Amino acid sequence: MALLEVKDLKMYYKVRRGDVKAVDGVSFEIEKGEAMGLAGESGCGKSSMATTLLRLLPNNGRILDGSIKFDGKEILDLPEEQFRQDYRWQRMSIIFQGAMNALNPVHRIGKQISEAIITHENVSKNEAKKRAEELLEMVGINSERYRNYPHEFSGGMKQRAVIAMALACNPDLIIADEPTTALDVMVQAQVLEAIQSLRKKMGLSMLLISHDLSVIAQTCDKVAIMYAGRIVEYGPSTKVYNNPLHPYSYGLLSSFPDIMAPRSPIQSIPGSPPNLLEPPSGCRFSPRCPLADSKCFTDEPELMAIDGKNHLVACHKAGALGKVGEQS
Amino acid sequence: MIGSLKAIWAKVAKLRGDLQVNFGSYILRRVIYALIVLFVIITVNFFIFRVMPGDPVKMIIDPKMKPEVREALYEQYGLKKPMSEQYFLYLKNLLTLNLGLSFTTSRPIMDELLERLPNTLKLLGIALILEILIGVSVGIFAASKRGSAVETFVTSAGLFTHAVPGFFFQLILLLLFGFLIPIFPIRGTMSAPPPVGAWAQLLDRIHHLILPVFSLVIINFGYWALYTRNAMVEALGQDYIVTARAKGLSKKTVLRHHAFRSILPPIITIIFLSLPGIISGAVVTETIFSWFGVGRYLLDAVLKQDYPAAQGAFYFIALLTIISNFVADIVYGLVDPRIRVGGGEGK
Repeated sequence: MALLEVKDLKMYYKVRRGDVKAVDGVSFEIEKGEAMGLAGESGCGKSSMATTLLRLLPNNGRILDGSIKFDGKEILDLPEEQFRQDYRWQRMSIIFQGAMNALNPVHRIGKQISEAIITHENVSKNEAKKRAEELLEMVGINSERYRNYPHEFSGGMKQRAVIAMALACNPDLIIADEPTTALDVMVQAQVLEAIQSLRKKMGLSMLLISHDLSVIAQTCDKVAIMYAGRIVEYGPSTKVYNNPLHPYSYGLLSSFPDIMAPRSPIQSIPGSPPNLLEPPSGCRFSPRCPLADSKCFTDEPELMAIDGKNHLVACHKAGALGKVGEQS
Repeated sequence: MIGSLKAIWAKVAKLRGDLQVNFGSYILRRVIYALIVLFVIITVNFFIFRVMPGDPVKMIIDPKMKPEVREALYEQYGLKKPMSEQYFLYLKNLLTLNLGLSFTTSRPIMDELLERLPNTLKLLGIALILEILIGVSVGIFAASKRGSAVETFVTSAGLFTHAVPGFFFQLILLLLFGFLIPIFPIRGTMSAPPPVGAWAQLLDRIHHLILPVFSLVIINFGYWALYTRNAMVEALGQDYIVTARAKGLSKKTVLRHHAFRSILPPIITIIFLSLPGIISGAVVTETIFSWFGVGRYLLDAVLKQDYPAAQGAFYFIALLTIISNFVADIVYGLVDPRIRVGGGEGK
């Protein structure tokens, strides 16, 4: 049984002009100890996915349908108070994008970590403080900095402190929402390494949300490519990276320059992501897809296995892609 | 040329940096700043009454008086001395807190102010505390119910009561509850003659306080409620609030410990900044409710061209303003860790 099972999840934001279909029928699973990457352009619903999992939606966000099973237990119908106490941070913690603002500027770093421990576990203040200091050491921050305020930390240190905070209650799953986006490449590498080694050591599962495919390739066992609120391709990282089956994944992958390859112009995907208020009929990628034909504009493709058992793709043209790849 | 400019600029920057290194020098800079402001204010305060039209002596002297007698009076009040001499005398007296004698009553102004000050502090102080407590709580509550009818009601009510002219509302209150339904006294700080017994006197004073305090709370709570609500809404939209919620903290903890705590520095600042308003704001309220306080004294002094009295009252307000600003700066430094070390830098 998988640790996290998401099935046909639908989450819409209600706005004056209708519903923004940010998460529209998404399914995936994360096994214990596994890391899954969720990739896609800005505004495709990746971060909404994260806030939906933790039920931290803004007032206009509604979960309409689907199920989220954590360790086999349905968590969507749990009462708010129970979910807050037993699941948030205790089982699932989150590292937000932009650690710069994820820490409260008027509270000491250490206090913000031990606060999480005290909320969920019946421990004394001193004990919580000791554990917070250990956590700081674990991410390479001197425990004497417990009493520091966020503005006294550098960006990379803040992000590491946020990681330490995410580990505070020994969760089973960490959701990392663009954990390294605000950092420069060197610090980014350090932070990723820290996440990776801690994850291995503690046997944590992770959902890594990023638009940066190289970050996902480095850290994740499998990857889901999201487009306009749906998953369009889903499978083991090696398979998806080496043999993308969806034209969008293909476009996304080729829009990244390869440092080893001979110099060539960067490919981009023409057009822009659709408005999620009224997504295109049929395949949502069809208006931007070079392969689209009449069927693509009317029928929505199902996510299904094409190549082997665990590599899924939602595309009528999945088979035809190889040829395009050769042409370009 | 540009090189030397750069060198000078670097020196200035370094000097600024050195000054910002510790809290001590931060306080020192604030003190110097406060003294400069004080000097400017008392200077302006001096000249403003000298250029005002009208002759003060006419207020206290019978016009039928002989010119010689009038001259003698001018002499007695020091109004015949050259302006510069008057000015230095004035500076010396202010530094020694000698505010001089009132033109109208011939009593020391300091004594007149001090006997009125407790009344003003009681009225405006109680009103201010209630305004803040009620306004801030209502603001927090409105922000926590974002988008609901409660929020709309609080914002509209706050805006409305704040927009209604205060004196008008106070006059209506006085008409309603002092005259038409006479359950509260129309005027004064206490009944004359005062009732016998300590308890009866206390109750009598409270009875006189209710209407003016109530009116001030209604007029001003909206300012606090709207300010708090706006700051809270902004704070609640911050990433660290989502983090706090994700940590599984209860709604109450997120609201109080994270959102409200982070807007505490600006709230404390505006509380201190509003302190001087206790006296200047008292002018209208004290006049309407015939309150024996500093505000009404100030108005009377201005109307009667009682230079020393008006100057003294203004000096009082200026001093209070400067001290409040100074304390606000220091307290801000204490509650906001980002200010504590550097002077405003390091966001």
